Amino acid sequence: MIYSLTFLIILANYGSVFCYEGSIDEELLIKPLQSNQVYAHFQFSTKWDIDPEKETFRHSSLFPRPIGELIQRFDIQELHVTLTGGLWRYEKWGYPVVDAATGAEVLAWFKPGSDVDTNWKLLANSLSGLFCASLNFIDDLNTIKPEFSFRPRGVVDSKFINSSHVRYANLPHEIVCTENLTPWKKLLPCDSKTGLASLLNSGHIHNTRYHSVGLHLRPVCRDKSCESLSLELQQTVSLVYDYLILGTKNWSLRKLFGQGVNRKCVLVNKSDIYVDTTLTDVELEPAPDKTVTSIRGGQTTVLQKYEVTNTFLNIYAKYQNADVVPLNLPPPLHANQYLSGYGQERGGIVTKIYNNHWKELDVVLLQNIPWFIPIYLHTLKVVSNGKELKPLQLRYIPARQRIRPNYLEVLLRLPARTSTSVVIDFDYVFLKWQEYPPDANFGFHIGSAVISCYLPVAKNYTAVPWDMTLISDSFNASRNGYLVEIRTENLIITLPTPDFSMPYNVICLACTVVALAFGPLHNITTRKLILKSNKKVQLVEKIKKLLNSLSKTKEE
Amino acid sequence: MGLLTDPSTGQGKFVKILLKYYVHACILLYVSGVLWFLAIAYPNMNANTYFSENALLPGLVKSQFREDREASRYHEEFLDEMKKYPDSIPYPWLLAKFKQIGLDAYMHNFTLASPFNRKDKFSGKNVYGILRAPRGSSAEALVLSTPFRPSSSPHPPTEPSIAIMLAFAKYANKEKYWAKDIIFLITEHEQVGVQAWLEAYYGVTCGSENILDHGDLKGRGGAIQAAINLELHSERIGQMDIKIEGLNGQLPNLDLFNLASKMCSKEGVYQTFKNRGHFYTRKPLLEWWNYFKNMLTMMATQATGIPNGNHGLFHRFGIQALTLEGFEQSKATGSSRIWFVGIGRIIEGVFRSLNNLLERFHQSFFFYLLPSSDRYISISIYIPSVCLMVGTMFIKACARWFKMIETNSEGKNLETSAIRVDKIIITFLTTHFFGVLISNVPQFVAQYPTLSQYETNIKVFYPLLASVVLLTVLPLFVSIRHCKKSMELLNILAMLELGTTLICISMNNFSLGLFCGIISVPAALVINPSNCRVCSYFQRFLWFLIHPLNILVCIVMINTYYLFPEENLDVILFRGWDATMQSIIFSIVDSMIYGNWLYGVITNIFIPNWLCFWIVSFSVFKEGETIKDSDKEKKE
Repeated sequence: MIYSLTFLIILANYGSVFCYEGSIDEELLIKPLQSNQVYAHFQFSTKWDIDPEKETFRHSSLFPRPIGELIQRFDIQELHVTLTGGLWRYEKWGYPVVDAATGAEVLAWFKPGSDVDTNWKLLANSLSGLFCASLNFIDDLNTIKPEFSFRPRGVVDSKFINSSHVRYANLPHEIVCTENLTPWKKLLPCDSKTGLASLLNSGHIHNTRYHSVGLHLRPVCRDKSCESLSLELQQTVSLVYDYLILGTKNWSLRKLFGQGVNRKCVLVNKSDIYVDTTLTDVELEPAPDKTVTSIRGGQTTVLQKYEVTNTFLNIYAKYQNADVVPLNLPPPLHANQYLSGYGQERGGIVTKIYNNHWKELDVVLLQNIPWFIPIYLHTLKVVSNGKELKPLQLRYIPARQRIRPNYLEVLLRLPARTSTSVVIDFDYVFLKWQEYPPDANFGFHIGSAVISCYLPVAKNYTAVPWDMTLISDSFNASRNGYLVEIRTENLIITLPTPDFSMPYNVICLACTVVALAFGPLHNITTRKLILKSNKKVQLVEKIKKLLNSLSKTKEE
Repeated sequence: MGLLTDPSTGQGKFVKILLKYYVHACILLYVSGVLWFLAIAYPNMNANTYFSENALLPGLVKSQFREDREASRYHEEFLDEMKKYPDSIPYPWLLAKFKQIGLDAYMHNFTLASPFNRKDKFSGKNVYGILRAPRGSSAEALVLSTPFRPSSSPHPPTEPSIAIMLAFAKYANKEKYWAKDIIFLITEHEQVGVQAWLEAYYGVTCGSENILDHGDLKGRGGAIQAAINLELHSERIGQMDIKIEGLNGQLPNLDLFNLASKMCSKEGVYQTFKNRGHFYTRKPLLEWWNYFKNMLTMMATQATGIPNGNHGLFHRFGIQALTLEGFEQSKATGSSRIWFVGIGRIIEGVFRSLNNLLERFHQSFFFYLLPSSDRYISISIYIPSVCLMVGTMFIKACARWFKMIETNSEGKNLETSAIRVDKIIITFLTTHFFGVLISNVPQFVAQYPTLSQYETNIKVFYPLLASVVLLTVLPLFVSIRHCKKSMELLNILAMLELGTTLICISMNNFSLGLFCGIISVPAALVINPSNCRVCSYFQRFLWFLIHPLNILVCIVMINTYYLFPEENLDVILFRGWDATMQSIIFSIVDSMIYGNWLYGVITNIFIPNWLCFWIVSFSVFKEGETIKDSDKEKKE
């Protein structure tokens, strides 16, 4: 009894200490996709009611302190980091809540007046340590300053929006695994013991078709009047499970994540699960607490809401007609990227953008191409259904060998119901032999292109509006446009690769030569050489000698 | 070059030896080249195949494929479906099946314009499904392809391969270990379909413009690393033949062949190469003969440069590919047949090994000959044979050059030694110009739609034949054939060209280079500008025999005789002639659609080179010089 009382007191104190600072909300959106997959998106939003300009980040409670330190030390205005395995298939799956490219992606806005380049490198190295990822490979060779593609997502004085404050890099070859998830989970206040985070078991997370962990930091308005600022940290996990790999279409939390939700995290304000039941006829067990209907940008969504309480929760979904495969309608905008040409001389990078909308769309295409792929701007060709298209705007900074990458940003107006291909040609070049990675014949990665667009309709759209924080805020949140930032496939390019077994052969050969040379040299230097009489032996004498020796052996 | 141009250095010891013994050296080298070639098939000269790439880990995992019933059902359904489409691909059924399995299914349309009449168009459809790898991001891909053959096709049917492909796709799509996308490709119209699909995948045109309109693909799967082409003629497979020869004699990496061969033997199917399996004998000569025969069969296919399966078109794009052809009948006595389970497990094993591969195929051999499926001859073993043979050309050219300098330096016949280099070069270039003209006859014909009413043979073959025949009278118009020195120089040029060409060809397509070398080198050694009438006629006769056209006619005639041994001679001759015409037309079509370079090489290099020697054999010069020349030879 006494124990429980003290516990209560401690808990009360605990609450009183942290109440004023901010709040944490955790949400899980489960959305069966049109194809044979189910999408689960976790979002842990921490809001800290402090002024990011003034706070020193010495003391923090709910907010993870390592992130606070980053903000202070590197003058960060905004930070977006995603680590992704697999590829989001826009054509089949629609749009995710958070777009992320395969591999690692870092986007940061720095406060005006700071030493951006130094801070960027230091930030990358710190993040590398924080997430156990190879983010330390971010340097001048793969960093660009996009002008149009990215805008600050948080509150910012508009006069400071300037591409000199933004840095963007992607590492397409980064392989994301458990070692990245564990440190990420440690940033959560309840770790992964209770609350929705208890669903994040790495064994199940990495058995998916797509998994992406993300961290998004931005300043937001504290209230509607927006007189003071708060700091918002969103930690996200996006997973796409495949029914075929699961073995059944009837999913449950236990099937997907290995276990149900283990109680509510005590520090959390709101802990909700939303199940999208728009597409299919599904029977949920236990019955949902609430049914939410959201009409957004012409799209109606029906969601079942569960509030996580202090009891164990496992949701089980049973499909009425599991064999029905819904017709796949591609979203308004999606894109592919591929290489054209063969051989080791010339090639082209093709980005194909499909506009399925009935109206023309304005898009921005951003490409970050490594320096060892020399592209030629005069070969840039934009062809839409056989007709050549003129870019509205073009930004291009050519690469410098071993100094900076190619940066290309193209503004296009895509005609309605067309597929547009943007082609740029390049040459294959030789690298210095030390610049090849250990698995040289694997090839080199080219990162994904980013295609940004304000869509007029919210078809297949799930993202949270910029002025909001929670998934529940996105219900009935119609806006003028819906921003998508589509990521395409990574490319693997085979540069001319020298035969690296050659040094081995050379060593073998050199050793043989040395060994062969050593014998005679040793002989000459260590033995005494005496001249032999130069008398030629006649053939007859030779035969005689031979016969003699033969006869001797016989006698013996 | 200083060594060659400075006349005073021409009298060195080496040069003297060369001048004295070059004839012997040439004969010796040629004979040793031929002997070397004969010897490489002997087991002591070659080695057992082995896996060079460790990452493949062949056959390490337990096969789990168990969808054989599914395969049988697909097979029955597909046979039913094919009845509704007597001569085209039942694409709605295939697309539906791919979608049902859970793959991204796409269709690919292509159009082929007839190379000689662009107005005639044929269209075709390929169907393909892409298994998206759960552990990958569509950056790399593997291909499993099979040709669709309608019931009206003259080729043996391949429906079982489509059935097993679908069953394997169904099995594989449930597995989570795939790191590379698998593209399941069903092509129509044999090689044209694959070529069109590959061209569309890479957005390039390999042959002539405006012939094959490759269309566009909606779905791709990244860089393709390997491809397996299936041609199963029955549900029960008693013998699995592996085919590797590709376009222009390109071969897949030997590791891929070893992998396929190992997987076949793991499943216990009688596995063959060129329709011959393992043979064991204790007689060394018989053993050698068996290996040699098998190697020759492979070389014969390779030399034509025509792929013997759909795999052959992948090689150009850096994709290692081979065909698994399954027959119900087995040559092996007492061997068992495998069913869909076994075939599925072979495919599973191959693809899981390829899935393990981190780097693309780069180890092992890309240039090799196979005397059987478990032994190989690497490039370092076989290339000396052709080098020895072709080396004679350079030695003779060198010797002849020194000899010319020697006679020059003695300076007795200043008026005859005035070589007209310009005229020689003009002659040399003219022959090549005619070669280029001949090679462009088909393109030229295709451009004139007014000619479309005529038959292809009439408008292409006869003009070609006429131009080749007309060219044989070219020597009569060459004025320099009266000058011995000029002829000598032209001879040297021609020998150097022949030697270089043969070496270059054998680097790319060893078989073609070797066969050309064996035939042309001895004849070229005989040809010298001479005044002796009998010699001259003999040279002309010999050289006329090895005209590329004559050789082609001979090969086709012999082939026809072996195909129809029961026919009368006149029927065989007629058929052979017909087949010759067809083969030339086909090689032109191949060069225009696929970019096969055999026709181009023969018309652009071999025929002009033949003409150069032909001109040399027609040399006529004054009596006096020859006597002096022969005197000198006597002195030596």
